[in-house]
Amino acid sequence: MPPSCRGCLSQYTHHHLVVFLLTFFSYVLLHASRKTFSNVKVSISAQWTPSFQNDSAVAFSPNETWENNRLFANENEATLFLGVLDSIFLFSYAVGLYLSGVIGDRVNLRYVLCVGLCGSAVVEFVFGTVTEWLHIYNVYVYCVLWVLNGLLQSAVWPSVVAVMGNWFGKAGRGFIFGLWSACASVGNILGAFLASSMLKYGYEYAFLVTSVVQFAGGVVVFFGLLTSPKEVGLDVESGTGLNPVETDTGSYRPLMSDEEDEEVHVYCRQQQDEQEPEEVQVEPPQAVSFLQAFCLPGVLPYSLAYACLKLVNYSFFFWLPFYLSNNYKWKEAEADRLSVWYDVGGIIGATVQGLISDLMGKRAPVLALSLALAMGALVGYSRSPNDQVINAVLLATTGFFIGGPSGMISSAISADLGRQEAVRGSQEALATVTGIVDGTGSIGAAAGQYLVSLIESNLGWMSVFYFFIVMTGGSIMFISPLLLKELRSMWSERRALQRQL
Amino acid sequence: MSAYCSWSKAAFLIFIFHFCFRPSYEMNEVQACTFCGGSSLNGSEVGQFCTLSAGRISGRCCWTHDNTSERERIIGLDLSNCSLTCVDDLKGVSTAVMIDLSMNPIVNMSDTAFQGFSDLNYVILPHDIACPGGNASWEKVAFKEETRVCEGQKSMCNQTGQLSMTCPENSLCAPYGPGFYQCSCAGNYRGYKCLREGEFPAVQVFSGLAAATVVISIILWVTQRRKAKSL
Repeated sequence: MPPSCRGCLSQYTHHHLVVFLLTFFSYVLLHASRKTFSNVKVSISAQWTPSFQNDSAVAFSPNETWENNRLFANENEATLFLGVLDSIFLFSYAVGLYLSGVIGDRVNLRYVLCVGLCGSAVVEFVFGTVTEWLHIYNVYVYCVLWVLNGLLQSAVWPSVVAVMGNWFGKAGRGFIFGLWSACASVGNILGAFLASSMLKYGYEYAFLVTSVVQFAGGVVVFFGLLTSPKEVGLDVESGTGLNPVETDTGSYRPLMSDEEDEEVHVYCRQQQDEQEPEEVQVEPPQAVSFLQAFCLPGVLPYSLAYACLKLVNYSFFFWLPFYLSNNYKWKEAEADRLSVWYDVGGIIGATVQGLISDLMGKRAPVLALSLALAMGALVGYSRSPNDQVINAVLLATTGFFIGGPSGMISSAISADLGRQEAVRGSQEALATVTGIVDGTGSIGAAAGQYLVSLIESNLGWMSVFYFFIVMTGGSIMFISPLLLKELRSMWSERRALQRQL
Repeated sequence: MSAYCSWSKAAFLIFIFHFCFRPSYEMNEVQACTFCGGSSLNGSEVGQFCTLSAGRISGRCCWTHDNTSERERIIGLDLSNCSLTCVDDLKGVSTAVMIDLSMNPIVNMSDTAFQGFSDLNYVILPHDIACPGGNASWEKVAFKEETRVCEGQKSMCNQTGQLSMTCPENSLCAPYGPGFYQCSCAGNYRGYKCLREGEFPAVQVFSGLAAATVVISIILWVTQRRKAKSL
């Protein structure tokens, strides 16, 4: 928390805490079920294929136990299909993000969030459990279900970021959002845990448990989530930083700056003045159109930077256990356990960097520095020796420098962008902007899944790491205009300060 | 007479029907026992074996009580001098220990006819018909007056000097008739490829989850949304 805001801690009520936890755990559950799918892949491909025998002379008997399932001839084909399912999911997720952000700004966010959580829970239940119980193994059924799952899951992220943006002001947003964006990593860890503890009963039970837990999460959100402080008659300004007083001061401020300190002081004074929350009958705010949101300052560069970064981040998500067991010949369970360190690094990275960006009042310089260090960390990790401890340390470092900026762009910066002064006239841009940033990122991630497998099979793992380094460099390039702008404004501020002295 | 082949399929269906719908069925209806006329077991080897094991002769079959259950099972089948030309499916008598197929003009015996006959220990065949599963599957192959006698079924599992058939992970090799073996799930394992272990504790998991959901929902409703206004 920046020192300037310490006095304002009283602005946070129990509503803030509940909203933080509910949105956090909504996404934790969603990501846990995504991770479950990643971790049960070996079992699923075993279920889809007959027992493989080298001479193929004698098949194992009885047939019902060893030979009857012939969706794919061997495990390689099954693995290929699972990769296709990943890409299908990410593409429909990307398309869904563009759509659901627009919907989220027009329909009650609570309903959108519930539909996303419960709907995708039902689809996962059908995908993993019902098909197994009824022995329906059909490629087309799986594809259709996974497209549906991508679309439904995409409703969740823009909604939770928008709700968070409604409740938590720009002051301290970097820190709170940094802490909050650990939800994806926490979800990965929870998903890995759930999958590994349920897998012995059969992969269908891993799906059953994660989808039932996710459905329960949707129900709890329906009964407990307040989408905006306005719903309980709290001061609108307390959360959003959309202070009416701020508008006059904002007119001479550069866009996308983070100089919220004065605004916080103003707010503090204001809250002391008016203890009674005023009954504001606001007109339902007009939502911005998709194209308008795209043209908001900062949206396009951050989207493109995030596309590069999410490619690297999700490649680690999808391929890391496979790389570890493939390259170092470590057991699958060991590789799964080791890959958690990337998420641990990401959690710490997002929180610490969010805090630093709050203290500095600037986000782009923190991002750029972290990404530059990430390139170095990637070089280091690609040369990791065959030692699990050293590998875990390098992995956590890489996670710190890649997961940090990734969490920051997808949450804090998305909220900044959706709440900037350019959209003052039409306030409900938050979900749309978040959807655009994350959607563009997901397209990058989807393309990455294909490219990584292509590069790996043709050129080897070393080239995959060079590809990651180039992509990280690409995301630095995309934010460089914003970086220059923020550095220039920092410099001119310092000059102004010196002149005053 | 090739009627036996088509007959046996019908017998199999009837067998399945009885097995599924009449748990306390009379084994006497297995048609392998009544297919050939008369009960000419008295002097034959199957007949002697049956008397020794205190079995009950019915048609061409010898029945005995299981030690563990009330159910009767076939331990001997005498189809000698039955004009059989083809043997391809003998399901329903897979518990047999001794089978006599001698004095039949058999031209065609299916490779899988004896699959699942894991107790089978003594087979009498016409002279020119090879032992099921090949000679390697039997301890001793002897020739007696126009017949071939296959004696002492060897297990396919852990055979020394032979191609050792190892089963996949979590399963154990078990004999499954002459020349056959099957891999059945070991211990607690079950399901396709024996990948599943134990029973999912559904009641505990779901009751806990349901209770937690209801409690949290009520608490949050009371503290958060009770006074919420729709926007």
